[in-house]
Amino acid sequence: MSTTTDVRSAAQPSSLATSAAFRTFATVVAVTAPVIYVICEMQNWPLFTYHPGTNRFDWLYAPAVKDQGPAMYWYGWTVVMLIGSAVLGLLATLLPERTAKRIPLALVWIVPLASVPVLIYALRFFWRW
Amino acid sequence: MGLVPDFILDWIDVSTFWTILMIVHGLLAVALLGAITHQAMSVLAPVRQMADGGIVTRFRAVQGAGYAAAVCVLWVVVFFFGAWIYTKYRMYVRIPIETQGFWKTQGVFELKEHLASIGLGLLPIYWLLWKDARNPEFASARKWLTVLIAAMVWYMFLTGHIVNNVRGFGS
Repeated sequence: MSTTTDVRSAAQPSSLATSAAFRTFATVVAVTAPVIYVICEMQNWPLFTYHPGTNRFDWLYAPAVKDQGPAMYWYGWTVVMLIGSAVLGLLATLLPERTAKRIPLALVWIVPLASVPVLIYALRFFWRW
Repeated sequence: MGLVPDFILDWIDVSTFWTILMIVHGLLAVALLGAITHQAMSVLAPVRQMADGGIVTRFRAVQGAGYAAAVCVLWVVVFFFGAWIYTKYRMYVRIPIETQGFWKTQGVFELKEHLASIGLGLLPIYWLLWKDARNPEFASARKWLTVLIAAMVWYMFLTGHIVNNVRGFGS
């Protein structure tokens, strides 16, 4: 018996999976999300700040309040990434299909992989001996 | 104390709530780890001859496409629970870790949270590449994106264990 295991799905692809617009959207989201996230992390640009000690939210960046615990920005960075990449993905669907298909699919794994060493560098504060 | 809905505290105490949430988060992470590891093995070392394969052969002889939706759903759910637990972690785990000077432990956890967020952005294309698995144009991107996501899940899983060992249950 000869098989290849990675593509043995008997099911037909759904209409969404064969949609050119969704392919463009998903490709652009995958490429832009890591870039937006890295920028937000390194520049500290959250959409909102959460203060876990008091369960308070502030818009954009807000420093920790004295004697009220730390401030959390990760939620705010993640939301910026999701909104930003979704908007860019939707805008990309307006491109002619021929142009959109020129975006190399390899970027969907190369860009997130390349973002890892940048993030490790951004965390250099923690790599002390 | 982190984000805990008041009505839940009518039934269980705070400590029990976080313990349940942490265990559910961990169990779902195990399911995600298993699914993505099967799938990554199926693209890295696809089975050509099933014949009398042993356990390793059977492990990688799965229908990778059948895991795609489950991986996407599990990623989102595990992310949601992790993000919820993070409200507690920031106050009651990270501060003691920093006080004790475990900087590298905190650093690897920070990278875990970054990977979890970036992974959210990869899910739509990951799903697409597997749902149209017969498209030969997708083969290379599907293979390497799956391997990358598997590596991210393994890193996050092991980091979660390390942090739990440093200051988790019972601390």
